[in-house]
Amino acid sequence: MKRHVRLVLALLGVLVLGSAAGTPAAPGKQFDGVTVNVLTFTGPQIAEPLQRRGPEFTKLTGAKINVVTVPFSDLYQKILTDMVTRTNSFQAFVFAPQWMVDYVTPGYLEDITDRVKGDAALQWNDIAPFFRDFSASYAGRIYTIPLDGDFQMVYYRTDQLARAGLKPPQTWDDYLKVAAALHKKDLNGDGRADFGSCIAKKRNAQSYWMVWSVAGAYLQSKGTSQGSFFDLDTLKPLTNNAAFAEALRIYVDTGKYGPPDELNWDVGDSRSGFVTGRCGLSIDWGDIGTLAIDPKSSKVKNKVGAVILPGSRRVLDRATGGLVACNSTTCPYATGGVNHAPFAAFGGWSGAINKAAPDRAKAAAYAFLSYMSQRKQANVDVTIGITGFNPYRTSQFKGLDNWVKAGMSASAAKNYLGAIEASLNSPNMVLDLRVPQNQRYQQVVLDTAIAKLLAKQITIQQAMKEITDGWEATTNELGRDAQLQAYRSTLGVKR
Amino acid sequence: MLTERDLGGTGSPNGPVPLSLPQTLTRWAGRQAGSLFLLPAVLLLMLMSIFPLLLSVYLSLVRFQLVPGGFKLIFVGLANYRKLVAGIEREHFLGLLADLTPLIWGMGGAVTAVLLVFVIRGAARMRPAVPRTAGRLVFAVIAGALTWLAIRTLAPGGRPGTVITTILYVFVGIAVQYWLGLILAYLAAQQIPGRRFFRVVYLLPMMITPVGIAYTFRIMADLGKGPFAPLWRAVGLAEVSWAGHAWGARIVVMIGDIWQWTPFMFIVLLAALEAQPQELLEAAMMDGAGRWQTFWKVTWPQILPVTSTVILIRMIEAFKIIDLPNVLTNGGPGTATESLTLHAFIAWRTLDIGGSAAVAYSLLFLVTFMALSYISLVHRRLAGAV
Amino acid sequence: MTPAGVLLTYVVLGGWALVVLFPLYWILTTSFKLPVHVYDGPVFIPYVDFTPSGDAWRYIFVDLRNDTLRPYVNTVVVALTSSVLALGLGTTAGYGLLRFRYEPRLGVVGMFLASLALAAVAITMGVPWQIAVAAALGLFILARQTLGRRFVRAVGNDDISFWMISQRILPPVAVVIPIYVMFQRVGLLDTRLAVIITYTAVNLPIVVWLMRDYFRNISIELEESAAIDGASPYRIFRSIVLPLSTPGLAATFLLVLVFAWNEYLLALFLTSANAQTLPLLIAAQNATRGPQWWYMSVLILIMITPVILMAIALERYIAKGLLVGALKG
Repeated sequence: MKRHVRLVLALLGVLVLGSAAGTPAAPGKQFDGVTVNVLTFTGPQIAEPLQRRGPEFTKLTGAKINVVTVPFSDLYQKILTDMVTRTNSFQAFVFAPQWMVDYVTPGYLEDITDRVKGDAALQWNDIAPFFRDFSASYAGRIYTIPLDGDFQMVYYRTDQLARAGLKPPQTWDDYLKVAAALHKKDLNGDGRADFGSCIAKKRNAQSYWMVWSVAGAYLQSKGTSQGSFFDLDTLKPLTNNAAFAEALRIYVDTGKYGPPDELNWDVGDSRSGFVTGRCGLSIDWGDIGTLAIDPKSSKVKNKVGAVILPGSRRVLDRATGGLVACNSTTCPYATGGVNHAPFAAFGGWSGAINKAAPDRAKAAAYAFLSYMSQRKQANVDVTIGITGFNPYRTSQFKGLDNWVKAGMSASAAKNYLGAIEASLNSPNMVLDLRVPQNQRYQQVVLDTAIAKLLAKQITIQQAMKEITDGWEATTNELGRDAQLQAYRSTLGVKR
Repeated sequence: MLTERDLGGTGSPNGPVPLSLPQTLTRWAGRQAGSLFLLPAVLLLMLMSIFPLLLSVYLSLVRFQLVPGGFKLIFVGLANYRKLVAGIEREHFLGLLADLTPLIWGMGGAVTAVLLVFVIRGAARMRPAVPRTAGRLVFAVIAGALTWLAIRTLAPGGRPGTVITTILYVFVGIAVQYWLGLILAYLAAQQIPGRRFFRVVYLLPMMITPVGIAYTFRIMADLGKGPFAPLWRAVGLAEVSWAGHAWGARIVVMIGDIWQWTPFMFIVLLAALEAQPQELLEAAMMDGAGRWQTFWKVTWPQILPVTSTVILIRMIEAFKIIDLPNVLTNGGPGTATESLTLHAFIAWRTLDIGGSAAVAYSLLFLVTFMALSYISLVHRRLAGAV
Repeated sequence: MTPAGVLLTYVVLGGWALVVLFPLYWILTTSFKLPVHVYDGPVFIPYVDFTPSGDAWRYIFVDLRNDTLRPYVNTVVVALTSSVLALGLGTTAGYGLLRFRYEPRLGVVGMFLASLALAAVAITMGVPWQIAVAAALGLFILARQTLGRRFVRAVGNDDISFWMISQRILPPVAVVIPIYVMFQRVGLLDTRLAVIITYTAVNLPIVVWLMRDYFRNISIELEESAAIDGASPYRIFRSIVLPLSTPGLAATFLLVLVFAWNEYLLALFLTSANAQTLPLLIAAQNATRGPQWWYMSVLILIMITPVILMAIALERYIAKGLLVGALKG
């Protein structure tokens, strides 16, 4: 027995010495030994740049970046349940700010206002004002770092519009006129009739954003803080009036110039339809721009133009519920008599930090997100289509070089970036709905009613009533005062 | 049935022989065999189904809400159920009722008459009368309500909700799958060369994950990108889209379901057909019966028990359909193709945990009712005990 | 059969074979397509309609190497383990229900359920599970000794079988959230073990049903004579019953394996990244840009290949094994 004891002790001694010798003598990097688990959805969009730049970041700081992906349709739930059930397997999340309110209210996200203020490398003021002040913030505090700028624009075929002698649509009535002119023409030279306008109208997909891209210009005219979904004093939905009816009429009418199965087209179909040349017009986020120059997907390289979301010459008078003409009082931000309201649908993928993570991990996570957003990395990533990152920094649409390098012609790049700049600089940008459980308002009530309207199961009047009743019922169920408070906070409105 | 005596005889003609420890243990283990065979399975099932069921009931009676600090479960009683049956989700769940016309009244009357006869005959015939009649009465009431709902929502002017849509998928799907599977099995049971090839090939759809099948059908049914696009155009249907019509979309969902599950019927029925005693068939042939007669008089009664079982199994599974409507149309157009599981899933995704649990429980009631009714009325008669 | 009959048979069988094989062919070709080939309208034949590209295959196997391998391994491990477990537990249970007589008293059963429910509620409310289980066990034993004697009414074999089989009626969506909460409390979320346990429980009823029906077919005389010779029940089961039931076991195993291999909903709730299974990876290809058909096709193909091979190998057993017992009612 004694022999064994001595052997064991000797072995232990060797182990201890060995591990001591294993410690690096050189000074460690800032976040040595820290692992940051980042949760996002299965890419390659959004996940690819995170995965690509992870090792770079590790070389710089020693922190190991582990990008975990789940199906997109489940990301919201996964993030929430991870924090609600206190599992906390993740230290950072990359998600859309529209979901932020459900994470911030229970206090799950780290308030990064101070970190951002002390971070010179981040160049916070280079980020477009809308994303800085509205998208990344809630009730005046910053919770996310923008990595991507999501807002909708209208894309058109430059060659087809030139051939028809048309100008890019400025109002939604123009949009219908252009769509009518291009409908049933052969737009891609394959001998088959193509479509004037392709919009993702599939149920439970993106239709509830598309319809709001149309409606925003009718409902909001006095700047982002005015909001477009509810009345600021009573939280009454703005969905039962002449302006919304007009917007719905337009949305339904676009179907006259669309593909026969447009009701089953989600954004994948409308995008692919557009870049294979089958559509004259489409509404989309920034993806069509970069997709159009990808030889693996596109047949319309350098034939694509983008324009700020069409607006309206008449807007809602909230006092009377009627449509009134645009003038300097009703539409202070109108250009050329048209009220534009670019819709920042979904918000733009951003990174946030789990408040329950250990301090060192939180610091490392913040450093990584900041790294991803810094100009040196971000300005390259937004030019690469596969990253899914669209421009959100002023510096990104000032210089054409990166874009031309990525394959866009100079004129196409100028056009694309011009549209983005016009949208980002608009003081009347529409913030997506961010009250608690906004999904019940948009994804359940609004989407279902619009789907039934498009399927001709109900009329416009019935649809408006259904949306209004459904929103009111949800508000009552969740508590009107709390929802009103949240709505005002998200718009930065202090009362 | 092996009894204690079979297991425990001590074997000596002079009386009990004292046993050593190992022998005693073996004997004890032998007596415990019954429990040991059954208990692990029972325990696992209890753990994984009883508790979740109870918690689910509780969840269907609460509302989930995120609050500063975490979340709250607020007890709301039957509000979630009331919303489904009488509140804002009524049209989604039950459907839009068509206006009452003489035709609808007529059909309703016929159905009521049939059910009444059923109950009365049961009361007259069965012993003990009271429990059996009560069962029949309950069945008649529920079946009558469902049929009335189906008539009123499927009639022109009405629109079926997720309950009727799910029932539709199940009934039509099983009917087509069964008859198609039977025809294929009958033909594949013939002694023709190459039947093994067909048997293996027909198995394939069952092997693919339902999610994969759903996406495959989605692109195949696509009017622009799918392989049938040239065909549609040639026939002049390029402007017509199945995705825009409620019934068109439902039919496509059912086609996908039939494609996927006919193999199940096929495999089982084939086994049953091949297990028929040859003598009976030969005897019938010798008596001069034709193919058709042989089938109906000899084969059909033989395979009735299997038919009943396979329909029961398939029915229970079919009620849970979700992948196809979710992927093909996301439940659209409107809510035309949405099944109950999809309804619950969408509600869950938007954090309406209580609503989701309520819909899930309604599905449970519905399936239990259908399964029990089927077992009592059809299965017991055709196949004996479950 | 007349020649016309044979021709008709081939036409019908061949027709359905075409219906079955065409979507599979479509998946195969799509896995070699680039996005523009898919979007631009259907192309059918490689090298004739379009130039096939190994892009999707390369992405799945090279770019995503570990992210594809991990779900694949998870699927294999989870499906095989849960199927074997379900087969083991279910076969013995099915045999037990057929050959032994059970008469658990309703009162005892009720009390057991009640203590189980109490334990579960306690665990959900945050009590460490070891304490909750111990307390519940103690409570149950106590209750059984005292109150148990009062309730004499018993349930029989048929009731137990019916209960077990009726578990299949349970829609997963009804129990998924509680199961999630349960596993979260014992720290088993996103582990293969949680998925294995869940799949075993879900597939157990089918195994019990099918194997019990199959065992009915085996004549009891063999077992009885072995019992008289002094063999223990375990010996009888292992040496006599099981060898005779190989076809039934093979068929049931394949059926259960296929269910576990392809299951989506429960895996979705219970896993995040570590224990992700292949069906989830397939569904995940529906990203914000729309379904990525080419990646999906590759994944579907690698998913079904092992199962098809196994099906071909076990096919001869399926014909003989499945539901022969049910024939006799």
